[in-house]
Amino acid sequence: MISRQRRPAAFAGALAAALGIVLSSTLAVQVPASAATVVKIGVDLPVSGADATNGIPTRNGVILAVEQANAKPMPGGLKFEVSSLDDAVQGVHDPAQGAQNVKTFIADAAVLGMVGPFNSNVAKAEIPLTNDAGLVQISPSNTNTGLTKGDDAKKLRTSHPDVNTYFRVCTTDDRQGAAGATFARKLNLKKAFIIDDNETYGKGLADVFESEFKKQGGSVLGHEHITKGQQDFKALLTKVHSANPDMIFFGGTTASGGGLVRKQMADVGMRDIKYVGGDGISDEEFTKETGDMANNSYYTVAAPETSKLPSAKAFVAAYKKRFNANPGPYSANSYAAAQVIIGAVLKGVKDGNGKTPTRLEVRQNVASTQNLDTPIGKIGFDRNGDTTAPILSFYSIKNGKPQFVNQINLKD
Amino acid sequence: MDVFLQQLINGLSLGGIYALIALGYTMVYGIIELINFAHGDVYTLGTFFSLAVLTLLGVSGELHGWPLIWISLVTIILAMLLCGLTGVLIERLAYRRLRNAPRLAPLITAIGMSFILENIMQYWKGPSPIPFPQVFPNPSFHAGRIDIAAKQILVVMLAVVMMVALQLFIYNTKLGKAMRATAQDRDAAQLMGININTTIALTFLIGSALAGAAGFVSGVYYGSTWFLNGFSAGLKAFTAAVLGGIGNLAGAMLGGFMIGLIEAMTTQFISDQWSNVVVFVVLVLVLIFRPSGLLGESLPNKV
Repeated sequence: MISRQRRPAAFAGALAAALGIVLSSTLAVQVPASAATVVKIGVDLPVSGADATNGIPTRNGVILAVEQANAKPMPGGLKFEVSSLDDAVQGVHDPAQGAQNVKTFIADAAVLGMVGPFNSNVAKAEIPLTNDAGLVQISPSNTNTGLTKGDDAKKLRTSHPDVNTYFRVCTTDDRQGAAGATFARKLNLKKAFIIDDNETYGKGLADVFESEFKKQGGSVLGHEHITKGQQDFKALLTKVHSANPDMIFFGGTTASGGGLVRKQMADVGMRDIKYVGGDGISDEEFTKETGDMANNSYYTVAAPETSKLPSAKAFVAAYKKRFNANPGPYSANSYAAAQVIIGAVLKGVKDGNGKTPTRLEVRQNVASTQNLDTPIGKIGFDRNGDTTAPILSFYSIKNGKPQFVNQINLKD
Repeated sequence: MDVFLQQLINGLSLGGIYALIALGYTMVYGIIELINFAHGDVYTLGTFFSLAVLTLLGVSGELHGWPLIWISLVTIILAMLLCGLTGVLIERLAYRRLRNAPRLAPLITAIGMSFILENIMQYWKGPSPIPFPQVFPNPSFHAGRIDIAAKQILVVMLAVVMMVALQLFIYNTKLGKAMRATAQDRDAAQLMGININTTIALTFLIGSALAGAAGFVSGVYYGSTWFLNGFSAGLKAFTAAVLGGIGNLAGAMLGGFMIGLIEAMTTQFISDQWSNVVVFVVLVLVLIFRPSGLLGESLPNKV
């Protein structure tokens, strides 16, 4: 009920948001372009604050894809440019800021497609806008099921219910939550207590985990929701401890409480209880914030471990060379998302005999993408906009470092 | 029963932090009838100052014996001093000139000060949560199945000691008398030769120093801090002050402990997401039946 952003003065929030735009647009990453036709790819990710450890490596994936595309000669001297905006306000991803960023992209006629957002609740605020404008958007990491499937998805396509502008290259929480439950059962965990952050992503993931864990023979001792901005979890964890679980499942992100909950488990005598979560706690911030409590944590990621994937070898090498760092969990996904948009634009140029395609033509080409070679394998989209190659990987944290366990392709 | 007692301890330690912050709110309100919205951020600043002092002393982990005692003392005193001075500075810059302006004006500058402090802290340490060194070893005292951590005792003790010291100061010293006189009638107090500016500055010094102490213990207690923590903690502490009767020191303390307990018990017996709802329902009920709070007296000479 008390939110970090909900300040006594409403105008102040608006002011902060406006300031955010000014700041983020000045920080926009510009890939130099020649005088010829410039096609911009919008990137909306949280690149400041606690979410930045996710956002920046993901943005780098797009930058790399664009730079590689520009290195090749293109019809009519076409050049791609990255236009990047930050959807974090005061260090945390913010749906209103995301929507504002999308409006900025829509207003810029040179933007023919966008990559993002990172977080599912931000996507919920953005999809109605891109749907209205016919601007295609591809998310590298949104896993909430309702964004593409069922009635929830229909409600988001407000202006054109039968035209889908939202695609994603990662798999969904109905699969991630189920995989998390399987993972937990494989670790021989039987009694789970579930905590989620009450956000689109966190609650969705936790609900799927709950029903799947029960189906697989586990028992769920309780399911609690925490509040945004909450700092004290001792009372909650005391309650959890008295239920005597052998694991806690956390649905949410490090920034929304995943780190603090894990850290405070030590204070109530639950140091050795296993902690399982989704990709929301897969960032470096989690191990940094929890210190030695990071051990005994397990999580799933809705993306492949690129270092183990033969198709990603060239990508990983190029990424390391360009950014002097290892790719993040979603760098390959955002690279693939950018590849899809670049491919769709180039196809449009070819089909139109050199004319720059419209946004709707680009969207059409994205929708019909099939078997495109990317670091994460051959990808395409189904009717809903979901990837046809859903890959999940599993990790455990040992000695303060994430260790890859294994990965599965759900198509196989 | 064990769980109930355990939650009692959790609630009391959480309430101790609220109480320390609430004391500052209530003091400032008592003397100039201003809700100092920047107070919650002064509390966060207390954690940041403590962190800076600990870093300066090269402390990054657990301490034992004498080093634990003297380092804690040095840190808490420096944090209190720096926060106290910040409070005085805030009063001088944002409130003094507006002392006779309409009520709304200093309220708005208070919100402004809150934003300024938050942004300074964000600039200083970045927008991510920051780990705070766990200086206190965590021996838990076991009583049956109940664990009491040393730092929980520290929080509650500190809150009680500070409140008692403050009470003694206000009722048994000359400066305290000046503060009470100023609170009662500023003009008359001035005519009696009390320096109003000094007295009000002193109030800010003490109130903010208490927030600094709360900042140190909260850093130790939670092991992490974040530049926006002061917002929700400040709101709860303000609620505590109102619940107990704003302007009343014992009331602020009582309100703080009550809110901590309500939160812990709601979490245990209803659900975590309802804890804020229950806190504010209790506040509304108390204010309906006792508009001046639990221990507050309705003073005829005040609005």
